[in-house]
Amino acid sequence: MDMATSFLSIDSATFAFQSSERVVDGIDWSIGEGEFRCLVGRSGCGKTTLLKIAAGLLRPTEGAIFINGAKVTAPSAQVGFIFQSPTLLEWEQVIDNVLLPISLKRSPAKTDRQKANDLLSLVGLADYSARYPRELSGGQQSRVAIARALINDPAVLLLDEPFAALDAITREELQDDLLRLCDLSQTTVLFVTHDIAEAVYLSDRVAVMESGHLTHEVTVDLAKPRQRDMRYSPRFNNLCLEVRQAMDEAA
Amino acid sequence: MIIRLYSAGLLFILVAGWELFCRTSGLSALIMPAPTAILETLWEGLTVGYLWPHIWVTTVEIVLGLTLGCGIGFFCGIVLGETDFIRRLLYPYVLASQVVPKLALGPLFVIWFGSGILPTVVITALICFFPLLENTLTGIQHVDPQKRELFRMLGATPLQTLRRLKIASGLPVIMAGVRVAVVLSFVGAVVGEFIGASEGLGALIIGAQGMMDTTLMFAIFVIITVQGMIFYQATLSAERWLLRHHMKGINQ
Repeated sequence: MDMATSFLSIDSATFAFQSSERVVDGIDWSIGEGEFRCLVGRSGCGKTTLLKIAAGLLRPTEGAIFINGAKVTAPSAQVGFIFQSPTLLEWEQVIDNVLLPISLKRSPAKTDRQKANDLLSLVGLADYSARYPRELSGGQQSRVAIARALINDPAVLLLDEPFAALDAITREELQDDLLRLCDLSQTTVLFVTHDIAEAVYLSDRVAVMESGHLTHEVTVDLAKPRQRDMRYSPRFNNLCLEVRQAMDEAA
Repeated sequence: MIIRLYSAGLLFILVAGWELFCRTSGLSALIMPAPTAILETLWEGLTVGYLWPHIWVTTVEIVLGLTLGCGIGFFCGIVLGETDFIRRLLYPYVLASQVVPKLALGPLFVIWFGSGILPTVVITALICFFPLLENTLTGIQHVDPQKRELFRMLGATPLQTLRRLKIASGLPVIMAGVRVAVVLSFVGAVVGEFIGASEGLGALIIGAQGMMDTTLMFAIFVIITVQGMIFYQATLSAERWLLRHHMKGINQ
């Protein structure tokens, strides 16, 4: 994909912690608007660092990130970020957690509350808005985190292994929910994971990362919207195998 | 509930045993007065009314000292926790000042502030200061790094991060500091009054010592104990109320 149609573009991004070796080493990658991309790699390959650079949480040592043509220099409201754990404020109600991005800017209006409630309904938590995070299961907490990340209608959603701590069934449900929500809002997504099946199921394109480099890219040509049965199809397994072999070669 | 009943029963047995011991051993009331005699003195003091002004003075000292010490300790904890430079600059001094036994400063404070309630209030405040400083500092510094990153991602100002994240998540630790301060404030006030005060329960203990009035001393101990338990329970209630949201979803 050329620069003209790319929405999120990573332009020879490099990152090194003081004088040590490069965690992210000259990565170029363009993501088109509304695309769902996954980045797979082993722990410590630099994928989380790359994601944080894209979020504006870390400044690249060299290179730059552009979103819709504008250089990213700091976190912005048009980028939503979902962390490894739900990262909810345990002392605030679910609805207030969802409204946090807004209430830090201004006091939430009635329409904001309505929108938060709509989002909670979309993730199946309509009846939980007055609960507190600790009263929810792990999967439900992750859903609240997704609703919170979407409250500002971000153009780009960045996710850092958000479902890694969940059980397999819950994880699959959340993957379907995430796909549905992102499709609904046409969000551009960069999803970091170490789970190959998750990457293949979710994304249009999977990139393999190793020691700070993107070593391989696989285009996923499965039908959309994804169906649960696809996880057991030969094509799905072939794609998983391809990604796995790419990871082995890179190591 | 049943355990509370046992607890009350144990108190009854202990007091009854004490009473029996005093009556049978023939020990002088100067050494060990009987519980009934103590209660009688206590009752007389409360009904005739000479105890009330002393109770009042000590209560005022504790409330003032506690408020001042906790308030300043909390504020300094925030300042030290938020500014790395000031923390590194001042923490050694704060630590050094805490090693000085504050009660030893009592006589100096009497010279500085006279013999009213002021020196005792200052000692009490100094004693309450440190637990609040220490716990506030710990509370606001030990915030989940991912939550900090979330606030950064959401473009929160330092003040918003302090209020909605650091203080909110550190509140249980800060309140534990308040509880410690409440207990210490009684030591501060009573012992502070030993040194040069003319009013207050501590001064009354010194007075009772001068008259060899052991019974009165014990009566005052009872008052201080009851007072301390009221303060502690009030603090616990306040803590429960403040942390009512924090406790949601935690099995009690």
